[in-house]
Amino acid sequence: MENIELLFRGFAVLFTWQNVFVTVLGSVLGLIVGAMPGIGSLAGVALLLPLTYSFNPTTAIIMLGSLYYANMYGGAFSAILLNIPGDSPAVMTALDGYPMATVRKRPGQALLVSNFSSFIGGLIGMIILTFTGPALANIGLKFGPAEMTALLLVAMTSIGWLVGENPTRGLLLTLFGILLACIGMDTLIGSPRYDFGNDYLLGGIPFTPFVIGIVGFSQVILLMEERHVQVKAVTDKLTIRGSMITRHDFKRLLPPALRGGFLGTFVGVLPGAGATAASFMGYAMQKSFKSEEPLGSGAVEGIASCESANNAAAAGSFAPLLALGIPGSGTGAVLLGGLMLWGLNPGPLLFANEPDFAWGLIASLFLANLVALMCAWSVIPLLIKILSVPTRLLVPCITVICVVGSYSTSNSMYGVLVMLVAGVMGYVMQKFRYPAAPVLLAFVLAPMLESNMRKSFIISRGSIDIFFEKPISLIFVSIFFLILLFPVLRSLVHRLRKSGGESVQ
Amino acid sequence: MRKILAVVALASLIGGQTFAADAKKADPSGFTPSRDIEWVVTSSPGGGSDIYSRIISDIMTKNNMVAGKTFLVTNKTDGGGEVGRLAVSRTTAGVRADHTLLTFNSGDLMPMVKNTANRLANFTPIAVMAEDKQLLYIGESSKYKAFADVIAAVKGGAKVVIAGSKGDDVATYELLIKELGFSENQLAFITNDATSAAITSILGAHVDLVMAKPAAADQYVVAGKLTPVLALSRTRFSGNLASAPRLSEVGAYKDVEFPVWRGVVAPKSMSPKAVAFWSQAFKSVSETEAWKNDYIGKFKLVPSFMDQQAAKAFMTKFEEDYLKSLGK
Repeated sequence: MENIELLFRGFAVLFTWQNVFVTVLGSVLGLIVGAMPGIGSLAGVALLLPLTYSFNPTTAIIMLGSLYYANMYGGAFSAILLNIPGDSPAVMTALDGYPMATVRKRPGQALLVSNFSSFIGGLIGMIILTFTGPALANIGLKFGPAEMTALLLVAMTSIGWLVGENPTRGLLLTLFGILLACIGMDTLIGSPRYDFGNDYLLGGIPFTPFVIGIVGFSQVILLMEERHVQVKAVTDKLTIRGSMITRHDFKRLLPPALRGGFLGTFVGVLPGAGATAASFMGYAMQKSFKSEEPLGSGAVEGIASCESANNAAAAGSFAPLLALGIPGSGTGAVLLGGLMLWGLNPGPLLFANEPDFAWGLIASLFLANLVALMCAWSVIPLLIKILSVPTRLLVPCITVICVVGSYSTSNSMYGVLVMLVAGVMGYVMQKFRYPAAPVLLAFVLAPMLESNMRKSFIISRGSIDIFFEKPISLIFVSIFFLILLFPVLRSLVHRLRKSGGESVQ
Repeated sequence: MRKILAVVALASLIGGQTFAADAKKADPSGFTPSRDIEWVVTSSPGGGSDIYSRIISDIMTKNNMVAGKTFLVTNKTDGGGEVGRLAVSRTTAGVRADHTLLTFNSGDLMPMVKNTANRLANFTPIAVMAEDKQLLYIGESSKYKAFADVIAAVKGGAKVVIAGSKGDDVATYELLIKELGFSENQLAFITNDATSAAITSILGAHVDLVMAKPAAADQYVVAGKLTPVLALSRTRFSGNLASAPRLSEVGAYKDVEFPVWRGVVAPKSMSPKAVAFWSQAFKSVSETEAWKNDYIGKFKLVPSFMDQQAAKAFMTKFEEDYLKSLGK
């Protein structure tokens, strides 16, 4: 295999002391940046970019690549322990991670499950990247506006699995999420919507502060309300041995992690869909498979599916970036800016002209995956102590983290305001048992769906045929209709059986 | 102050001739930076505007043009940049106003005057540093081989779609269909968040043409994935873009060119002395080798320096024309 040979050549480039050093450095920084809410990979890479100007390009990209990659590990820490996603791909991790750490009192296992799944997902993504390389990027190209619209329609229906027992509430929240996503300048012609003459609203509602508020800060309010209720803190000694996952846990995490890995790689390659969309879709997909415990109650499967998907997506997104010079995400765009500053020309010729660079980077991802796993592993015993911190100390600390995190997204108090309002909203929703997941999913997917659908209609001059003419979109549209009709068909079959005199159940 | 003077004196002794020349240049305006300079950039770190601002501030710092003061480049992205622009325009006169700069491009001015009541009159133009132009390209598997084919096809009732980026590209597209006499339905345009997304869609053969500036498309042209078919300019390009004809060479039309520019403005309240100083500083930057090679050359821009007066006249005319085109 030629690619294996090239990969080994990449490892040869990688194994100089300075490149290994920057990989480790990048991984550790990535873990830290990822664990801090509000400061995601985008800010992390952007902050470190100027530092790398004096490096040679290969060393520089290895460092930033490891940082970006390790970031996906770090995001899960605060999501699991504090219910505050460290970065946006970790939103879904909090749904099962936090209950597993608190209700089920298995924080160490939750962190380990997340780390192992991340490792598996990332490994799948990297192996696919290694073997297919540029070909993988070409699959992404096949997804134009029409295909993306059809795919996103399918993804939106998965909200149906997230709404819980009360479909009306779920639908209501989905629509609310879509409405919130509409605020700001429209994606195609830049005309302002729902800005109410406010300059801040013109730019829309920033995602990170919104998530920190609705998921994390609402938690703070709840904790304050329940501060007099003496909850027996996790007093048992939390040791690394006591936090080890059992063989049974591993058996449970493996299938969702493998599925998440493949799905995540695919989503990562698609234009405009990043790790966040991948983890959402990974989690939604798990809803249609069997989980030992119901998702959302601290299930191993829930953590595994989304953590694996987001790491795989991070690896997958390097395919279009390296093969075509197309960034799959905001972070990718910053990396691309870096490439140009270092004097490289990202584009279709990069693999051919700079093989050491491209393959050195891919090799460094493998190393970063391993380093991040080991680093994360070694800090777990320390991290889980957070849970034994009493509420009266924990509340001010989390509040500070929430405020700093939302401030740093745009360096202004606007983010903090959004976070506070979203926090109160999240609290009220939790009190009245309205799930937060549909709002977040709609908020992420709706803008992508809108811009792709409108682009499709521009191409087709408003004709709906465009979704049925192309094979890929036809397949996804068919799946979409099947999902929509499934309940109707099921009840129809049910009724037919009943009228046939057979006793069901 | 005495401390600074001592440092300046020492530095000039050590630095010798070069520094003395710089110091002389700054002298006539009667202004020297006395505190750190806040440079507001209204788009995200790592993007085109950010790189532009950081390269200029690096050159100024390295060549000791700002009396040893530091540039604090701050990215204020709230409200699509409008919040940052508004804050700069409202800075009250004083030391702070004299040490505040704002990166200001054609792509910033257009959404500002379109969506808000903020106008160029609320700022002091300092300089225009560079201009840029666009071309139309076809992809590898395109149905059309030349722009004349496109015109013929549209006249024959075919659907042709151009993909491009926001702001400048949309304005250029509007000039183009106006000149060709087509409607937005005949020759449609898809706005993408960035040129890279537009290029993605033509590589996947989802659109017929793509609009891009030379730097963004360069690698794809070299690799043979994109071929330039129309120069949206009054002169032909050079190098591997030389084959693209102007619109007047394709048929009985006038050339279409929309000025895309990168500039710098300051608060309206900046003192005249400081304005003169900054304009001179940007002029010095535009004359450095670092600027010519690491920015203009690398990003294939057209060097076009304008001082405060020229920039003011140019930006004002641009705003008037744009407002007129919006019917405001």
